[in-house]
Amino acid sequence: MKDKLTKEEVLHVANLARIKISDEELEKYRVELKQLLDEVEKINDVEGYDEERMIAPWSDNTTLREDKSSDMLDPKEVIKNAPKHSGNYIEVPVVIGESEGA
Amino acid sequence: MSNYIPTIGVEVHVELKTNTKIFSPSVNGYGQMANSLTNVIDLGYPGTLPTLNEEVINLAIKACKVLNCKIRREMHFDRKNYFYPDNPKNYQITQFETPIGYDGYVEIEVNGKTKKIEIEEMHIEEDTCKSTHRKDKTLLDFNRAGVPLIEIVTKPCMESSEEAKLYLEKLKELLFYSDISDCKMEEGSMRADANVSIRKNESDPYGTKVEIKNIGSISNVGLSIEKEIKRQEKLYESGKSFKEQTRRYDDKLGDTVLMRVKETGNDYRYFPEPDIPYVYITDEMISNVEKTIPMLPDERRSKYIDLGVSPFKANKLVNNRSLSDYFNTLLDSNINFDIASNLLLGDISGYLNKEEKVITDTTLTKERFIDLVNNIDNNNLSSRNLKDILSKVLESNSSIEEIIKTSGIKNITDDSKIREVIVSIINNNPDSVNDYKAGKDRAIKYLMGQVMKETKGSVNPKMANEILLEELNK
Repeated sequence: MKDKLTKEEVLHVANLARIKISDEELEKYRVELKQLLDEVEKINDVEGYDEERMIAPWSDNTTLREDKSSDMLDPKEVIKNAPKHSGNYIEVPVVIGESEGA
Repeated sequence: MSNYIPTIGVEVHVELKTNTKIFSPSVNGYGQMANSLTNVIDLGYPGTLPTLNEEVINLAIKACKVLNCKIRREMHFDRKNYFYPDNPKNYQITQFETPIGYDGYVEIEVNGKTKKIEIEEMHIEEDTCKSTHRKDKTLLDFNRAGVPLIEIVTKPCMESSEEAKLYLEKLKELLFYSDISDCKMEEGSMRADANVSIRKNESDPYGTKVEIKNIGSISNVGLSIEKEIKRQEKLYESGKSFKEQTRRYDDKLGDTVLMRVKETGNDYRYFPEPDIPYVYITDEMISNVEKTIPMLPDERRSKYIDLGVSPFKANKLVNNRSLSDYFNTLLDSNINFDIASNLLLGDISGYLNKEEKVITDTTLTKERFIDLVNNIDNNNLSSRNLKDILSKVLESNSSIEEIIKTSGIKNITDDSKIREVIVSIINNNPDSVNDYKAGKDRAIKYLMGQVMKETKGSVNPKMANEILLEELNK
């Protein structure tokens, strides 16, 4: 079993998290991230783990909400927590060209 | 003639017509002031929890039913993880492992043949916020964040842009008629992406796939697919290959434009959404939804045609939901449905368009409409005279007979009176009679015009035409 992630693996994770890391950090994360993953892997040792996966601690039906509206936020409140705004819009650095989400 | 066979699959996002958002009680609305339809859940504040809207499940079940999908009885939601400002939670709640619908189909008519467009799967998800890109900044409006969507994915089973367009038209009609969505592509409540590849032979593996994103209208879906097929053909013919990529259709350019080349698989790190426990779809939920499905467009069309309406007019009626609903209330009455459809699509539609009304805004009850149709059918009222009394028919509550009586209209239905007028016109127009006998059909039109002029439009045209021909051929 290897004790380090590859450089590419760490850079891939950094890219997904949209963070830049230095060469020094890269080496550190190769070890630390591997240790974290190994800890999580231990779950596989639990007996019966693969047999029946549960996504919630109980298997009851989720409670559905009636389709009725309730109070909403004042747009002034919404933009208060944004670093920048333009009228009622929240303003962020230009993101065109990057990979789109949904 | 092209040497390549195109393979096309279509993905459609449709906004559901609910009062509130999928996971929060904020209003689901369009065209409101920016960021005025939000709460802390839509904005992804830490510590907030989603609560699933019952109506979203109902409408998704309904969509499964009208699109002939099988319904998954045990399902859950998944998180699709990505960093992008349109989704401050950094994940979108969607269905990855257990889409609610699968193995469905929609039927389209291609060159007189019925083709099944197979639906691979249909899943429920939340919409993201709307980003507007300016030169130096991006503006975010969270009114759209959390609006419920269904995404409908076909198999790569279409072979032409025409099939893709027909599929979208059919899909739109079905979802609109069953009140699942208002399907307005111009407002973004229906959005289409197309996957296009080409290959030489049926036996070859599929060619490299290109996705065309966010196409703004059904006609542009057709245009963009055609352009994309041509572009790929040109590349292959000149011996070039290309990478899997995403493009968009530029309306002004009339061609597809590269957005990005697909990197080695999107790494969305899907995992089950732990904040929403299992959803079980019961028989009762399905049967309750089934009761709310109205008669669908294909059934309407075939019923109308069976009653004597032409296929063209039947289609026109179905294209206007309120007229079609009105027409449906008449289906069990014993009237001339050809006249009924002419009236609705002709003078009545003209009036409604001018007044910006729908038929249920008028005083034309089912009973009065039946009277109107019968009066025309029995030659008590000509279509020409109808124009004069139309406003009274649609705005007053008087009976049709009374309106005809008080308007001084008396349709000449007496055969001998019409004949008298026609004989005198024939005698006064010997040139036209000679023209007719020389085989000039235009003469008939002229003589009929004289008959209408003489009688001020109060004769039944069909009857007058028959008598005119009789007299001319004597």
